[in-house]
Amino acid sequence: MAMQQSTSSRSARITLRRDKGRLMQEAAMLAPAIILLTVFLIVPFLLSFWTAMTNQPLVPRPTPVRFVWFNNFIRTFQDDLFWTALWNVSRFTFWIIPAQCGLAFATALLLHQKLPFRNLLRGMFFLPAITSMVVVCVIWGTLFQYPTGPFNQILGFLSGGAIQPIDWLGDPEWAMFSIVLLSAWQAYGFQMIVYLAGLQGIPDELYDAAKIDGANAFRRFWHVTMPGLRPTHVFVLVITTIQAFKLYTQVAILTQGGPKSSTETVVHYMVRAGFEEQKMGYASAVSVILFVIVLIIALIQRQLLRRFDV
Amino acid sequence: MGKRLLWSLVLSSALAATWADAAEKTAIQVMHQGDPGFVAAYGKVAERFEAANPDVDVQFIYAPHDAYNEKFSAAVMAKQLPDVMELDAPFLANYVWSGYLQPIKPLIDKDVLDDMTESNIAQGTYPIDKDLYAIGLTDSSVVLYGNKKYLEAIGARIPKSVDDAWTRAEFETYLEKLSKLDGVKWPIDTFRGYGIKTEWITYAYGPILQSAGCDLIDRKAWKSEGTLDSDACVDALAMMQKWVKNGWVVPQSAGTNQFYAEGNPAALALGGHWVYAEAVAAMKDNLVVLPLPKFGAKSVSPNGTWIWAITKTSKHPDIAAKFISFLLKDKEYRAYVASQSGYPGLKSFAAESPLYADGGPMAIAFEQASKTAVARPPHPAYPTITSAFMQAVDEVFNGGDPREALTTAAKKIDQDIEDNDGYPPFDDEQ
Repeated sequence: MAMQQSTSSRSARITLRRDKGRLMQEAAMLAPAIILLTVFLIVPFLLSFWTAMTNQPLVPRPTPVRFVWFNNFIRTFQDDLFWTALWNVSRFTFWIIPAQCGLAFATALLLHQKLPFRNLLRGMFFLPAITSMVVVCVIWGTLFQYPTGPFNQILGFLSGGAIQPIDWLGDPEWAMFSIVLLSAWQAYGFQMIVYLAGLQGIPDELYDAAKIDGANAFRRFWHVTMPGLRPTHVFVLVITTIQAFKLYTQVAILTQGGPKSSTETVVHYMVRAGFEEQKMGYASAVSVILFVIVLIIALIQRQLLRRFDV
Repeated sequence: MGKRLLWSLVLSSALAATWADAAEKTAIQVMHQGDPGFVAAYGKVAERFEAANPDVDVQFIYAPHDAYNEKFSAAVMAKQLPDVMELDAPFLANYVWSGYLQPIKPLIDKDVLDDMTESNIAQGTYPIDKDLYAIGLTDSSVVLYGNKKYLEAIGARIPKSVDDAWTRAEFETYLEKLSKLDGVKWPIDTFRGYGIKTEWITYAYGPILQSAGCDLIDRKAWKSEGTLDSDACVDALAMMQKWVKNGWVVPQSAGTNQFYAEGNPAALALGGHWVYAEAVAAMKDNLVVLPLPKFGAKSVSPNGTWIWAITKTSKHPDIAAKFISFLLKDKEYRAYVASQSGYPGLKSFAAESPLYADGGPMAIAFEQASKTAVARPPHPAYPTITSAFMQAVDEVFNGGDPREALTTAAKKIDQDIEDNDGYPPFDDEQ
């Protein structure tokens, strides 16, 4: 082990000496990415962390901006509404992952078959994902209408009037569920494409070998497809979780966080604090907290999945 | 080929001429909101203004109603404030305190200033220096609309003036009777469909609290705890919660009109004066206009609307003011506003609106302006006051505990005031 290491480091040194010019080349190629990341990611994060410790208002005010240390963070943690928002987002994530990823996976498996008009179908299923969320929300807002919207009429018709109209967006018990439905439908196309790519990456030889070994369709799925998709599952899971934690547009358009704060989300809470109540420092604190939470979740997910040998 | 060349020369020189023309003109920017009808009306006024002042170019910046304050903040941040801006009256204190607006008394035509109603002056005045910062053609109010057929069916008393408005007991008895009446799906539409983020909640429901004997904030000490979370407010909000629980109120998701919708599923409506035009078109003689009920000792109605101000950064305040004066006097614009049942803020405009004159169908609404109107708190913390109150109302309407919700709101408001060092000089106005 030690031997190996020293050899490799020696060879690295040699490469380094031999290709000084090449190193410069590599640095030059990396530079745009590093500069962009610094300007648009690292600096803004440091700035928002700095802002989070002041009472910075959204727009300049006559009163001085003061350094308030961790007051904004403490206040956030003391606010029940913040915890409600966090709980709501967790609930949303918990529902959306099986709904959206399951739907995406099922469609991807279906569209991976040699169906006629396969590409056309893929395009059609992907369509909602590239439709603006705002447009989708406006349309679904009409579908959800209470008591005479299409969804309620369909339910009423199918159940022969046994199901009373549901106040999809106006009932605290239903509002978040309705947003899950809409979100899963709008966004699953993206995960579907990722799954399709993953499926295409599994070599056909494996399936052929499995067939020769006498594996039936289910076994082929379980022992070839699923292991072959492991990295895809991880990617989809992490991406979906992060997306879910950023839930905002649907809430801003359809429910504004209500009814009874049942759809309040962390990002909506942050925007409300920053833009309506004009407290930029406070909103920054919320954004830093959100960043840390998402980071922790992503790290935990990675660790867990690594344990399963992905 | 030659012909094409010639044409392109002609075109480009024409283009150059337009540019040169535009460069000589003084541009003023006007930021506004409004429904498509109003937006079109402003455009036509600008055309007439430009015709009368050929050296001026009026440029409009439209910002939708629901996100107006957010958009305005963005303009401030980008240092791109317009010359003229429309603003919602209760936010005036915040804007003046933050230093965005300039006093307009010396700039606006004197005959327009002299023409203002008291309530119009009040909505444009900053309480600290008592100076006028904004002016409008209109003001606003909320009344109780009733469906005559239903009210007669339950034998309800029809008040003739603000003084004999329904009492709380009467009002609640009628709601209960209406709830049992055939054809009535909901006894009252409080326009919850406007959403929980618009000014509607504070504007229309705030007066119910004030009528019950409390307020959003103490207007002398500028402190909300002890006022917004007082027993009177808790009781008023609990009363409204009961209406919702009993299924007496049109739910938010049923849209913004169930009162004059087909079949009239709602019997009463707590609605703005702007509802009148459509309601009377749909209901004809069946529409009655009632004063807001007395939920405590007195009836209270809201006032304040979107009014025009000139920003401090304007390079041409004189032209900006000229445009505002022109707008307020413009005959066709006035006719349009009148057709939308616009609530008069100028005496001459009131005279042009038989709707609001004595004996007119909306006379009660205009009577409220002088007898029962209470402005929303003119304090720089207003953005937080209204946001916190909306949150509380949404909580309570969906089954939350009124005292808890109002306590949270009051704390939030006081915290904001504290964060801004009491918004001096408001803090020494004891």
